[in-house]
Amino acid sequence: MRRIGALISTYQKFIPLIATALLALTAYGVGAIFYPAMRDPQVFLNIFRNNAYLLISAIGMTLVILTGGIDLSVSGVMALTTVASAALLREGWNSWVVILLMLIMGMALGAVMGGFIAFMKVQPFIATLAGMWVARGLCFFISDDAIAIHDRTFHILGATKILIPGLSDPSAKQGDFVSIFVVVAFVVLAAAMYLTHYRRFGRTVYAIGGNEGRNEQSARLMGLPVNSTKVLVYTLNGFCSALAGIGLALNVMSGHGLYANGTELDVIASVVMGGTSLSGGVGYVFGTLFGVLILGITQTLIQFNGTLSSWWTRIVIGLLTLMFIGVQSVLAARKRGRGQVKEGGAPVSAAARRRRLLLLGGGTIFAIALVALALSAILKPAGSETADTTATAGSTGCEFKPFRQDQAEIAVETGAVVTYERNGGPDCIDELYFIYTDGRIVGDDGTNKIEKQVTPADVDTLLASISDLGWFTDEMYNTWHTPCRQCFGYYVTVSHDDQIKTVKGVDGGTDAPADFLVVISLVKGVVPEFAAVP
Amino acid sequence: MRQTKPSFSWRKVTESKLFFPLVAFALILLFDLIVIPGFFKIQVREGNLYGSLIDVLRNGSTISLLAIGMTLVIATGGVDLSVGAVMAIAASVAAVLMNPYVLATELPPNLMKLINDPTFTWQPLWIVILVTLFVAILCGLVNGLLVAYVKIQPMVGTLILMIAGRGIAQLITNGVRIQIFYEPYAFIGQGWIVLPFSLYIVAFVFAIAWLLTRKTSIGLFIESVGINSRSSFYSGIEEKKVKLLAYTFCGLCAGIAGLVASSNIKTSDAFNIGMTNELDAILAVVIGGTLMSGGRFSLLASIIGAWVMQAITTSSYAVGVPAFALQAIKGVVVILVILLYSEQVRGLVRRIGAQKEA
Repeated sequence: MRRIGALISTYQKFIPLIATALLALTAYGVGAIFYPAMRDPQVFLNIFRNNAYLLISAIGMTLVILTGGIDLSVSGVMALTTVASAALLREGWNSWVVILLMLIMGMALGAVMGGFIAFMKVQPFIATLAGMWVARGLCFFISDDAIAIHDRTFHILGATKILIPGLSDPSAKQGDFVSIFVVVAFVVLAAAMYLTHYRRFGRTVYAIGGNEGRNEQSARLMGLPVNSTKVLVYTLNGFCSALAGIGLALNVMSGHGLYANGTELDVIASVVMGGTSLSGGVGYVFGTLFGVLILGITQTLIQFNGTLSSWWTRIVIGLLTLMFIGVQSVLAARKRGRGQVKEGGAPVSAAARRRRLLLLGGGTIFAIALVALALSAILKPAGSETADTTATAGSTGCEFKPFRQDQAEIAVETGAVVTYERNGGPDCIDELYFIYTDGRIVGDDGTNKIEKQVTPADVDTLLASISDLGWFTDEMYNTWHTPCRQCFGYYVTVSHDDQIKTVKGVDGGTDAPADFLVVISLVKGVVPEFAAVP
Repeated sequence: MRQTKPSFSWRKVTESKLFFPLVAFALILLFDLIVIPGFFKIQVREGNLYGSLIDVLRNGSTISLLAIGMTLVIATGGVDLSVGAVMAIAASVAAVLMNPYVLATELPPNLMKLINDPTFTWQPLWIVILVTLFVAILCGLVNGLLVAYVKIQPMVGTLILMIAGRGIAQLITNGVRIQIFYEPYAFIGQGWIVLPFSLYIVAFVFAIAWLLTRKTSIGLFIESVGINSRSSFYSGIEEKKVKLLAYTFCGLCAGIAGLVASSNIKTSDAFNIGMTNELDAILAVVIGGTLMSGGRFSLLASIIGAWVMQAITTSSYAVGVPAFALQAIKGVVVILVILLYSEQVRGLVRRIGAQKEA
């Protein structure tokens, strides 16, 4: 018992980090118990795939928060990156040049904000708030509507699968995979860890933010380059935001000024959950990885549950953030208390101190257990049903086939106005339909082809109603989770009035926009049906 | 530092909290006078006043309400980021209290008719308002407890409610945008008694806040806590209670703003009501000359700051600036305002003033 106390005492600064990691693992474990489908390693990898851009942004934010500052402009810079890169690519610029330009733009924005904060003594959150508004406003100077990206390099960057050794079959090019951007995110993570723990720059960052952000003056008096370090930190965060913006653009293959709305909250919440103290000076970049994981796992759990709405994510994240801030403030108060004891007054015996530490550690574990319990309580009713269905899915060996995106693209280039792909379901189908302006509809389920003729007016009505349902607006967005046994995954591209947009989603959940499912039912009403495979 | 003419000096005018917001407001109005024809035209219809200028005042009332509460919070050295989310929660609560039936899965046909009836409401209006404001005060209380007693940084403590608040609002309405058909409720945001009714609400809240802070010692306490929380504590001011009061009042103001905003659009749009309004409110306070670090504050200057923000919005729309480009303009305005208030520029103004007086 005493040794445990000593251990906790030695590694006290790691407590928030360990708590985060434990919480992430617990949440995933609980999920895996209730939803067997979550045991699929690909589900775990998908958390990284979907949140790689968040991770990159959160890494930059961690540095900013370590200096005792904050950057609210990340979502604006991300949106600006998606729009600007999409617009430049549309003009036919080289994709690598575009990526380079975007990164420089992000750094420039960050440097300007950092300059205001360091030299004009503007409060970080006001300066970056202004930065966010300017960035978002600029998006709409470039384009009011979403711009699709049809760049080959971007497609390759977004769609290339990096197979995980041991979980995949390299010869068949199948198995569990991550995207290129996940690798990029981990490279950024490693670089940031090196920068913060092994370089003078990192020490300066911690020094500026130390003592709950009140250390800046001491750092200055010590002769540390406070101003230039601050500017550099915001510049780095600008770089991370721009990189995250490119990641977002690769995810959705388009650019719009309303993308990433409110992402700064997710990013800050991830950083806090990762054990970084918002008052600065305390925390690790590595912890941020777990913060992002918790966020991703929460989203996944809520998607798997299927009955809970997506806004629960926000509530759960808010509560978790509160919990972590609570743990941090308790730790900070303890530290202060100890400092005062040292200055004078009755010395606390080592045994008593260890007892208290033990109490704290126990409290943390108790809190985690409590959250796990609450999670399981939420998950139970829907969980048991899902468990049954997924179990049968596994027994029939149905494997969800990947979308034939390249085929759909070629079809759109050759004049198809709607491509509609429906995969999965009880019979594990993979149907791809093309609808042409002249009313010709071609279907293909991998083995058979089917054709149907409708009037061109029908196609026009269909297109008009799809457009009216807000297909080309921001209300229609990509969603994805692994489809349940009876569910279908959809991949629909619509080209109308010089606008092209692809949206994918899964039915049977609550994450897909309601109008997306309306569009699906409209298209389903037009296309011919394959005869049931015996 | 010599002061030759104490009764009226250039310095005294420029140092006044009202000086800058009034100049800014005047500049924008001057711009409108030149660029937008008929901006100052005020029509009288059925005894009520209408016109662009009245619209500025009316549309600015939500931000004004938020700014009143935000001024007190910022004066204690804090900030409340959750006001937008609290507005959404208030709107959701009010809508559910008037029209809970949309949440039911099956509706009797006659009830559907009832709901569309402009005189139909589930709870009487006074209960709706009381319960809504109670919930809003509760939100403010949570913020205040977190900041004052748990000693979480204000920005962080209120960030939690900002993140979770919209989720809670969605939860209350079950994710449905509830339409509000009840006519008397619409009067809160859309009614006119010579002037828009919402202006009277602003005036009422302002009067309460002014009496509270300037006719009692609370205002002095707030400023003292904002300037130095620890020394206030040592001089016997219960700084925790002062902070708690400021955040609770801010929550109340956000609740009232939520009522006005939802009655303006006659829906409880949990996702859009009050979106980014916290930023507008903070900006209004900053324009009003209250320092973000706390201390001296002026409620009137904050309200004028709110009107400056609204005047910028209204005149931008009138000139034909697209809605989204407006954000960029606001961003530039923030930067300009901050620069104007920075020590460097203040010093410059002071030097010019000193030269004139000499």
